[in-house]
Amino acid sequence: MSSIYHGEDRVPVPPADAQQFTTVCSYCIVGCGYKVYKWPLGKEGGPLPHQNALRADYRTQQPEQAGTWISPAMHSVVTERNGRRFNIVVLPDKDCVVNKGNHSIRGGTHGDVLYAPDRPTADRLTHPLMYRGHSRLPTTWGDAIELGARVIKATLDTWGPDAIAMKCFDHGGGGGGFENNWAVGSFFFTGIGTKMASIHNRPAYNSEVFASADAGIAALPSAYLDAELADTIVLVGANSYETQSIYFLEHMLPNLGGGTLSLKQQQLPGEPHARGRMIIVDPRRTSTVAVAEAHAGKDNVLHLQINNGTDIALLNALSRLIHDQGWHDQDFITRRTNNFAAFQQANLSQSLDEAVRLTGISIARMMQAAEWIAKPKAATARRRTLFLYEKGLIWGLKNYENVASIVDLALLTGNLGKPGTGCGRLGGHQEGYSRPAYPGQRPPVNVDEVAVKGGASKVFWVAGCNPVGGTLNAQQFRAALARRTALVNQALDAAGSGSLDDKVAAVMTALDKGGLFLIVQDIYPIETAQYAHLVLPAAQWGEMNLTSINGERRLRLYQQFMDAPGVAEPDWKIMARMAQRLESAYRAEGNAEMATRFSGFTWTHDEEVFRAAAAGVKGAQEDYGDTTYAMLQALGTNGVQTPVREMKTGMPVGTTRLHMDEKQFTFIPSAWPGFPPQIQALMDDPRYPFWVNNGRANHGWQSLYDDARKPYVIGREPLPHVEIHPQDARRLDIANGDLIELFNPYGSVTAMAVVTDSNAPGHVYMLFEHPKGWLNSLTTDYVDPATTIPYYKGTKAGIRTVGTMPGLTEELTFVPTNQA
Amino acid sequence: VVGGACAADALPSLTHAAEGSGISTLRTTLPYPRIKLASIGQLTTGHEHLSTYPDQASPVVLIKLGRPVVNGVGPDRDIVAYSRRCSHMGGTLSFRPDSATFHCPLHYAMFDAQKGGLLIIGQATDNLPQLELEIDAAGDVFAVGIRGLLYGRQANVLA
Repeated sequence: MSSIYHGEDRVPVPPADAQQFTTVCSYCIVGCGYKVYKWPLGKEGGPLPHQNALRADYRTQQPEQAGTWISPAMHSVVTERNGRRFNIVVLPDKDCVVNKGNHSIRGGTHGDVLYAPDRPTADRLTHPLMYRGHSRLPTTWGDAIELGARVIKATLDTWGPDAIAMKCFDHGGGGGGFENNWAVGSFFFTGIGTKMASIHNRPAYNSEVFASADAGIAALPSAYLDAELADTIVLVGANSYETQSIYFLEHMLPNLGGGTLSLKQQQLPGEPHARGRMIIVDPRRTSTVAVAEAHAGKDNVLHLQINNGTDIALLNALSRLIHDQGWHDQDFITRRTNNFAAFQQANLSQSLDEAVRLTGISIARMMQAAEWIAKPKAATARRRTLFLYEKGLIWGLKNYENVASIVDLALLTGNLGKPGTGCGRLGGHQEGYSRPAYPGQRPPVNVDEVAVKGGASKVFWVAGCNPVGGTLNAQQFRAALARRTALVNQALDAAGSGSLDDKVAAVMTALDKGGLFLIVQDIYPIETAQYAHLVLPAAQWGEMNLTSINGERRLRLYQQFMDAPGVAEPDWKIMARMAQRLESAYRAEGNAEMATRFSGFTWTHDEEVFRAAAAGVKGAQEDYGDTTYAMLQALGTNGVQTPVREMKTGMPVGTTRLHMDEKQFTFIPSAWPGFPPQIQALMDDPRYPFWVNNGRANHGWQSLYDDARKPYVIGREPLPHVEIHPQDARRLDIANGDLIELFNPYGSVTAMAVVTDSNAPGHVYMLFEHPKGWLNSLTTDYVDPATTIPYYKGTKAGIRTVGTMPGLTEELTFVPTNQA
Repeated sequence: VVGGACAADALPSLTHAAEGSGISTLRTTLPYPRIKLASIGQLTTGHEHLSTYPDQASPVVLIKLGRPVVNGVGPDRDIVAYSRRCSHMGGTLSFRPDSATFHCPLHYAMFDAQKGGLLIIGQATDNLPQLELEIDAAGDVFAVGIRGLLYGRQANVLA
């Protein structure tokens, strides 16, 4: 019997004198505001309003959406370094304008992932680990840093900066933030000077929206308010109900339901207003489509079920239809853009017949989309259309042209710098990017191919990402990592009883013979750490102060409210430890130039790093100027929207929406490029008949690093799921819950089948990242040569059934999620 | 998409985690009342029998689903009862008999009545609270407890 569930039937409420902190969700870009309550274990608030910190009367049932309900997943008991135990509640903040008290399943489960020695998070990394004789054993910071510094210095001195490769977070929110990013960037770019750098689980150090920047458009130009004011919202490659849940629920849906009509009339007088419409471009009928239809009515939602990889053809066809009808914004084009002729030649020459054939979308539906995007709503009133795109487009066939084609459509229709308009990414993580300049060129070097598989680098430092599953073509990446790190293992085994000098000498010999010394810095013993020689324990959200911006550039302070486990430290401190050791080593041998490169890591507290990092965002959409922690503390969960324009009476004045000035934009020509050879080869091979689309799911965040420690989440997704059409399932004799194998020449992976008609026959959808099955074992090694961004979203595979997992299906639900 | 307990062999490195947090049996010190919700004879397959438990401020629904389900009671192991308040933010749920699912009008959460109130999709962080039921010799169905915290309460039984 028994399904998985939290099960508690009461929670303790914070007493009136509980400590209070403000923070922001550690997960997605939306950045919902939260309040944190902390009080000693053994104490509890009472049910009367004056007896508890929420001032609620718990003798009575709280009304719906009250903002005073603490779910069991929001509560935890933590143990601090001095052994004292505290209750902690992480509650959505109803005074935050982003979420208004609402929360997603991800943000609503922060209680489950705070470090606690008697909960699933007990496996947090608490101490540095060092490879010794086929295992990784705890050691001191001093010991770990000493070995790391000796190997890094010897490598740097012998082979130069590019012999050190890194793959590192660049985001805001949990684990990231301006502080940690600045320290990481200072270490690798100012200190080491390597161009073998890469971001997250991607192969290179790149923007995901180079084309938008080239057009002159910031990645996050709009405000969430614009989704309440738009006539039409266009979502391309985004499943926002599941991955930007609260932006979708609190700002987009109210518009679709007519709930923002009075706001529109008040803010945008003198033009006709109606409830908003939504166009969703996605190869899958997602829950987002279903929820939008349920809320707005089917007549107000247009789902363009596009064939994998064909966005450029669709978006250019829309541009062409709009231009043919004369619905483009000639005044805007004339006044604010250049390079229209090149756009006309490349994009507007898209054959409509070819677009229909490639995309699988009828000309009638394209025409309807064109109308909703650009047909003026009155003689003097253009439609206000908000274009929002995410990984389905960014990680699509060809990153640069994919992004360019939607940017061009927005420019053609004049949808920038006005209320209710915009063209930007929705985002995955929050943002907290601030670094010294990357020393490499554009397009950036493919670190997976050159540094790791190709052997150009000897030391590989991975922080806050899990590339053995998350990078493209991951099976081949794992093979290279296993082979090269094993050479170092063998050398260390042979030198096991020797001195530190002996060990460093042994490692250097192994590196010379093709070995790779691997440092993994993380909060959990992730799969990549299974190959590491040094594992460094990092602090997490809530265990340090950090600052980040959300998808509308809202900058806030995420306060520390508890200790990190063991001797774990914020990433900025770890980088500083290593830098200081390298500085002293160079100083000792009289190398002033190298010592200087590693100087400047003398910060003693987080705000010093925050202030230093201001230099890295000057003039960017993140520019926070002279903002201080004290100002942000005073601004609470609403913070300030960057860029900060000025200080007024000691407080920062921000920017609601970008591009309201008369700055020029540039059309970026982006013709349909055809499929790359790796994909074409799979398309031509009958052994791999299925298109494999992929993405995230509502309940899980990114690689599931936290969710694997949330019993209610991982219990519901014990294996990655693959959605397969009933016709295909019947033919292959696959039932709900069956284990199936997907395979192609790049690798194979097993997953659990879910039979649903969300995809067209011949197309399957797999969860992107899961520790028990990485989709990326199937992705090719193709990257857009212009940006080094992979085509993660499309590959092809064969499918064979493996069998049934006993006990799995009885407890899982297979009700389709896209039937709101 | 999926929900429910995981097979032990599907999750070797993580099962220790689930065991620690008390997720399989009701452990409570709350003074739940024993209240008759209906008699078996009154229940028609697929029809909602509305009631309240453990007090009048907590709407619940008793349903005979017509097929054996997780945690189902009665001779056919098909009788279940749930809170009608969404475990996300308290919206009043509607029931669809064809799919045996509960739906929230606020933020479109869905729960599976056949799987212990498991979240199908949505922003709730726990199952729909499920009533512990007992059936006596006369065929009367009693609610005796609740698994999971009711929305809007600090404890299921109000102070």
